[in-house]
Amino acid sequence: MKIKKLMSAAVITAAASLASTAHADCGTVQMGDFDWNSAKLHSAIAGYILENGYDCNVEVTTGSTLPIMTGLYNGDLDVVMEVWYDNIVDQFKPYEDKGVVKRIGVNTPDSGQGFYVDGPTARKHGITSVDDMLKPEIAMLFQDPENDSKGRMTSCISGWSCYTINLVKHHSYGLDQFYTNYDPGSSGALDAAIKGAFQKQQPIFTYYWEPTALMGMVDLVKLEEPAYEQGTWDAMMVVVNDIKANGVEQLVKVDATAYRDMELPVGINTRLEREEPAVADFMSHYTISSADLSKLLVHYLDPDQADGEAELTARHFLTTSSDWESWVPADVAQKVKDSL
Amino acid sequence: MCRLRVYRMLNNEPEKNATLRRSLYSVLGLVLMVLLFWASYANSKFAPKSKDFWEYIATTSIDKWLNNWPKWLDMPLQPWANSGLDWLVINYGIYFDMVNDFILSLVISIKDILTYVPWPLVILGVCLLTWFVSGKKRGTTLLVTLCMFFIGFLSPKFWDKALETTSIMLIAIFICLLVGIPTAIWMSRSARVRNAILPVLDLMQTIPSFCYLIPGIMLFGLGAVPAIIATVIYAMPPLIRLTDLGIRLVDEEIIEAADSFGASSKQKLWAIQIPLAMPNIMQGINQCTMMALAMVVIASMIGTRGLGDEVLLGLQQLNVGRALEAGIAIVLLAIVLDRITQAYGDRIQERTH
Repeated sequence: MKIKKLMSAAVITAAASLASTAHADCGTVQMGDFDWNSAKLHSAIAGYILENGYDCNVEVTTGSTLPIMTGLYNGDLDVVMEVWYDNIVDQFKPYEDKGVVKRIGVNTPDSGQGFYVDGPTARKHGITSVDDMLKPEIAMLFQDPENDSKGRMTSCISGWSCYTINLVKHHSYGLDQFYTNYDPGSSGALDAAIKGAFQKQQPIFTYYWEPTALMGMVDLVKLEEPAYEQGTWDAMMVVVNDIKANGVEQLVKVDATAYRDMELPVGINTRLEREEPAVADFMSHYTISSADLSKLLVHYLDPDQADGEAELTARHFLTTSSDWESWVPADVAQKVKDSL
Repeated sequence: MCRLRVYRMLNNEPEKNATLRRSLYSVLGLVLMVLLFWASYANSKFAPKSKDFWEYIATTSIDKWLNNWPKWLDMPLQPWANSGLDWLVINYGIYFDMVNDFILSLVISIKDILTYVPWPLVILGVCLLTWFVSGKKRGTTLLVTLCMFFIGFLSPKFWDKALETTSIMLIAIFICLLVGIPTAIWMSRSARVRNAILPVLDLMQTIPSFCYLIPGIMLFGLGAVPAIIATVIYAMPPLIRLTDLGIRLVDEEIIEAADSFGASSKQKLWAIQIPLAMPNIMQGINQCTMMALAMVVIASMIGTRGLGDEVLLGLQQLNVGRALEAGIAIVLLAIVLDRITQAYGDRIQERTH
């Protein structure tokens, strides 16, 4: 009996050590981080799990879309947690086809973009869709200080493709008669303008997107547009690309639809799959819904809670939610829980 | 005895109660520091759990303190600034909107006038203006006219954008002159005022623009007004410093001669100090203009239309040529504005010499 117990103990110990060595030889993971909040949070959460569950050494490089994606393509970086694929498809696809990079797993299954109106004004005037905005008295609620005759829609900055897309949409829906497609200059200025309008309790009509902290903090109502349809969207994008290449004179009236609910994938350099298959497996299961992420972002930016500390927010998420346990094997999950 | 006091007054020497005043300031400073320490400890989330501060000091090892700045020794300026701004926006938002509407109407009227006039007439107008302001100098007029022409020649889009930028810059430079030169004159008369204002000038020149631009957007809204404020804050210090320096550098003997002739201080200022300080003041205006135009790109990052837009677009699309063209157009605009003001300054100096 005693020998049997000893034997079984030895076998279990051997098995356990084998299991742990499978994760123990994780080396350094180079992670690319962007300069916006949702990406920072993903990097913090994934980085925490990699360091405390898989015993990897995580090195994070922060930057803007273009330099970080270039780092991923040429192998300096192994993983980028939040890839806005639709916006960079032209550069990403050639590398994907060659097998250098790969979209693995869906980070955020539902990221939305659209036209929003502040809640109080929308409810007061019964505004639910873009058609409701096509009235002169409604347009005057959002009066543009620089152009008295029209209302203002704070749009994307002119470097983003959504600026041209919004221009085409305005022309398509007939909004350009009543509103200016206003370029706020930088994303910080856009956020400040929206926040300022809410504090002064003034109506605001704007473009915005999820998942973002601002969505969690202010009451914006999304306007209904014609439903997304692949064919119509592609025809519209032809006009958009024409304008980007040849100037705004190419603007013609074309049917437009609402923005597609994009999935944001995790992007990896395929070298990671070969060298650290356990890490790649974890990345393929990583997923957080847009609603959960917006709540996390509010926690992240709240001065009374995380106050801008990404690691504190990651710990908060890992302690309060149990969704993440399905991303990793049980022993890794246990190690992460022990470290909290 | 009387002469000694006059001498002291003229040279801004401290009076007898200096030591009493200095010790009062030190006591006040000490009280302020203690209050700040208390505020930082009370507000900090990282303050140790034990209620007794002295017990905490006694039980913590000294090297833990020395290796990392203690997390509770954190002056809570961040929450104060945030709540201060919120209070300002919520309670006084309408007044800021009124200021915004007023300044914006000025900008739009100048812009409308300039863009309404056909472009050859604008170039001709600038040419004639330079001709008469410089006192019929051919070289300057030719330079300014060519620069003006090349703004449109570089790219047809730039003409209207340059006029938009000009209208904003003209108002900003005008405000700089209106506020800056009187401030500098006041500074030059009193060492105490100068010592008080110099740190403020340092702050205005070094603080990153977005630190006061984001509150500016929340108070005034996107567009020209925060941009004008940013430009004024950035471009005013060189003007103030150089004007102050110019007035102070006027020869002591000439001031004494004026005093001996019984000149009042107003007469001294207008008839002697300012004309003799003119070269420095003109340099100040030149620097003000240059720094104002350097802010054009930052202005476009908060929604102001103009040449800065093109630079920003070139940056975001990695189109180096576009950014360079727009940058050169901004330089040409700076040269035009600067040469006109310098020519006027030279003419004033020629008249007085």
